[in-house]
Amino acid sequence: MIPALLFMLGIGAVCGIILSLSSKVFYVYEDPRIANVENNLAGANCGGCGYAGCSAAAEAIVTGKELPSLCIISGKEGAEKVAQIMGVDVCSAESPLSYSMCEGGSRAADKYHYMGISSCRAMAVVFGGKRVCSVGCIGLGDCVKACKFGALQLGPKGYPVVDDDKCVGCGACQQACPKEIIEVKTLSEKLMKFNQKQDPLAPCAQTCPAEINIPRYINQIKEGRYKEAVQTIRMRNPLPLACGRVCPHPCESECRRGIEDEPVSINQLKRFASDYEMDSGSRIPIKCAPDTGKKIAVIGGGPSGLSCAFFLRRIGHQVDIFEAMPKLGGMLRYGIPEYRLPKKVLDWEIQGILDLGIKSFCHVKFGADFGLGSLMASGYNAVFLGVGAWKDYSLGIEGENLDGCYTGIDFLQKMSSGKKVNLGKRAAVVGGGNTAVDCARTLLRSGLEKVYMVYRRTRKEMPANEVEIVASEEEGIEFVFLAAPTRVIGDDSDKTTHIEYLKMQLGEPDASGRRRPEPIEGSETLLEVDMVISAIGQSPDPSFKEQDPHKRMVELELTRWNTIDNDPATMQASIPYIFTAGDAATGPSLVVEAIGGGRRAARSIDLFLKGRPVEPVKDSLQQKRIRESIFKKVDGIKKTPRAKMPEIQVDGRLDSFVEVDLVLPEDTAHEEAKRCLDCCRICYNPDTDFPIAGNN
Amino acid sequence: MAQSLAKEFTKGLWAEIPPFRLVLGLCPTLAVTKTVENGIGMGVATAFVLVFSNLLVSMLRNLIPSKVRIACYIVIIATFVTIVELLMQAFTYPLYLKLGIFIPLIVVNCILLGRAEAFASKNSPILSLADGLGMGIGYTLALGALGGVREIIGHGTLTFWGGTPVFEMGAWFHPFAFMIQAPGAFVALGLMLCFMNLMGKQ
Amino acid sequence: MEDLFVLAISCIFINNILLAQYLGNCPFLGTSKKMETAIGMAMAVIFVLVMAGGLTWIVNEYLLKTLDVEYLQTVSFILVIASLVQFVEMFLKKSIPALYSGLGIFLPLITTNCAVMGVALINMKEGYSFLEAIVASFAYAIGYGLALILFAGIRERILLARVPKPLQDTSIGLITAGIIAITFMSFKGMV
Repeated sequence: MIPALLFMLGIGAVCGIILSLSSKVFYVYEDPRIANVENNLAGANCGGCGYAGCSAAAEAIVTGKELPSLCIISGKEGAEKVAQIMGVDVCSAESPLSYSMCEGGSRAADKYHYMGISSCRAMAVVFGGKRVCSVGCIGLGDCVKACKFGALQLGPKGYPVVDDDKCVGCGACQQACPKEIIEVKTLSEKLMKFNQKQDPLAPCAQTCPAEINIPRYINQIKEGRYKEAVQTIRMRNPLPLACGRVCPHPCESECRRGIEDEPVSINQLKRFASDYEMDSGSRIPIKCAPDTGKKIAVIGGGPSGLSCAFFLRRIGHQVDIFEAMPKLGGMLRYGIPEYRLPKKVLDWEIQGILDLGIKSFCHVKFGADFGLGSLMASGYNAVFLGVGAWKDYSLGIEGENLDGCYTGIDFLQKMSSGKKVNLGKRAAVVGGGNTAVDCARTLLRSGLEKVYMVYRRTRKEMPANEVEIVASEEEGIEFVFLAAPTRVIGDDSDKTTHIEYLKMQLGEPDASGRRRPEPIEGSETLLEVDMVISAIGQSPDPSFKEQDPHKRMVELELTRWNTIDNDPATMQASIPYIFTAGDAATGPSLVVEAIGGGRRAARSIDLFLKGRPVEPVKDSLQQKRIRESIFKKVDGIKKTPRAKMPEIQVDGRLDSFVEVDLVLPEDTAHEEAKRCLDCCRICYNPDTDFPIAGNN
Repeated sequence: MAQSLAKEFTKGLWAEIPPFRLVLGLCPTLAVTKTVENGIGMGVATAFVLVFSNLLVSMLRNLIPSKVRIACYIVIIATFVTIVELLMQAFTYPLYLKLGIFIPLIVVNCILLGRAEAFASKNSPILSLADGLGMGIGYTLALGALGGVREIIGHGTLTFWGGTPVFEMGAWFHPFAFMIQAPGAFVALGLMLCFMNLMGKQ
Repeated sequence: MEDLFVLAISCIFINNILLAQYLGNCPFLGTSKKMETAIGMAMAVIFVLVMAGGLTWIVNEYLLKTLDVEYLQTVSFILVIASLVQFVEMFLKKSIPALYSGLGIFLPLITTNCAVMGVALINMKEGYSFLEAIVASFAYAIGYGLALILFAGIRERILLARVPKPLQDTSIGLITAGIIAITFMSFKGMV
């Protein structure tokens, strides 16, 4: 008895002492959460989870490789505790679902007759599959066999179709798939997916700055599934109504159909789907991930801010928007005139975003009414700066402050918010961009007799959207090309009477490829106008930097164009918890660009809040093209004209601000959707050889 | 209370029956199930340790510092294993010889540590007792079933205590010796798992 | 010397710890899904088994026997093995991080691996000398690694095969292990 007692005490003490000593001596720092998580695993080191011991499993959970429910012994309670440590909500850890990247379309003929075992993995070993498409699904259903829950089935087109209700996100299908096209992803992961070089992307989807899966929604429209089409768009773009109206659709210029025929009218289809939702009178519910308990302040309620807020909210964060103007919308509201984007439509769209549970505070200006210090004190974990570019460049000529002279954005903003503007009878708008065109068309609708557009170069170089230029020509705006204003002349009471300009001629092309206009000496010409609006570009207004009471913004670096300096791949500014996108970061650019930037910033903010390194998306495409996907020639297209955009007649337009462009009727939209070639949704037929651009 | 007690008890009998549902504690499952007698003997020994270790861990759950809890559980389990070892040596010596080193190896059976950590350390002694009893009986049943299958196919008999077989295949049956050897153990367990998968969880 | 060689051969092939002695099966099924993990696990087992074999022999011979408390074998062995594994883990993490990253994460898995405990107990039961105990431990570990790596290779291949649903995963794994065990049975005539 006594020796046994002594022995046990002795051996226990020796082991205890050695271990406690060595834990001090051999101390190595590791993430404290690992130890914490490990404490909540069963500790049996049974290896049942497939990891080598509980600490390895804990590490896998903390590094995000595995879900909190990894341990097979500790059961639900353990998983809940682990979830708590990881900062995921206890009862609502976000459940991943199986998701197939390859969505199917028509299938190409087989490369060879395959007689082997019926397994994707086996066939993948043999020349990567029997069809020509090297990216897509092999279609023998390894994933279906792997699924223990019957959530996967091979659809009618031979691609796996996921039943979201049955899928538990176990990942068995992902492991079974040899081509990495079926993946288990959470909603957040799907929302935060960015185009990568290896993805099967149609040229339009590569080009879209918001990276919308265009072929997918066109296909959904074709099949009459409009609601799903809207949901597809909303995965990438929270403002389809606005974009469907104002987007200059760079995607269409890359459309493969456009090589042999006219491109598909992509933006019209987007507008059709989103208008369908609005006209149906009920909103399609938008799914959000469970709350994470993190709070983000979004400064600026323009497209980039709304986009960032929308995506942050959808991945479970709490978002508050602060807006300096009386209403949300930014340039969409104050820079785009009513006849292009009716306020009613914009209000409806913004309300849908706010309905997700986003709070907004209007009429508060960052810098003047609140600062970075007060935001941090209120418990915000990160800040998104989407303040836009609202400061007009001045012409820098004599007389530009005379009565009757305005700057572009200032003018549009005054008109939009219903402030009183002294309108004259004849006006000159200086500039050739969209803002200038918007000013000119707005003036015309406000009852002016004559509106000139004065532009330094020729029509060919005008940066405004072609459609807009055509529409303004139709409406009777007179263009004065190759003209550089030199001064504004006023009368005795400082009222504008004339604008003087120098005639120009085109010289050699400059760095941007545009031929540089050179003045012709002594060619001063007078134009009789009583209003001059200069719309020659804008830059962000950095006054918030100095106004911030706590001087914390001083460290924020700006570029020489006054835009906020950020890493374009992550949107992170020089202060690590500040992210920025949209015009504030890029200078005046497209709405859709701001939307894409807002989503990219949301991804970085999410990484930042989770304490992970804010790294760029690996192999991110960022609007570069995948060379081999840009064809020079596409065979077998039967030419069919693209749908004409319905618009109201010119004589009906000018006396009001009624929306000019109309939505496509349903049957036309169907016809238009059928024109889509389903790029990257079909495995190409091996017999057709597509010449690739650049390969001659 | 009574309801949850019943629930904790019955879950070990079917829904979470080890080692079929919780694929743990495989070594003794494979090693000692040559006959139904061995299987049940091993099951009872494990169940004994499981019940008492669950009870003790649960009673001490508020006293054990969480940093050294695993070590404490191991010592508690090892103590009961030693007791079982000594008891079996004294009362069922032939069985003790047959089970051999697998009795001391109950210590490293993940089911014990797993239940201590996952259940007993968080629940009241009574619930833990029910859990231990349920899991123990489930394990015994599983081992018995596996032992029975292997014995019938391997020996052509089914023997409980007393030495006389309660059931004997006819003379036409040629015992399939493969089943009582190591490979047979793996195959039999694999097929049992398959059978359980077919039966479903309900 | 010849005896030791025969001992080693019989421990690796004939009395293979996994397939003939049924020890260490839980991690065997857990870590054999991938070749990479299987190799790490095999190395870790070799490392720990040899150390544990030696240490438990010393504890048994000089402590338990002298104090005449051999019935405390189970308790003391598990304590010694658990402490040893934890010590080695901490030591490797700090001093040889390269080795730790290779096999360190597998070390805790071995604490409750019945192979380690089982080999220690077999060594005592057979009454091996210290040298014999070390050789046997090493050979058992090699046998374990051999079976584990073979099995992992086959399991990776099984992924290609069309397995009926109820047999998938662990079930087919066990049956495969059974077939490997049959092949190991044929080593019986070697010694």
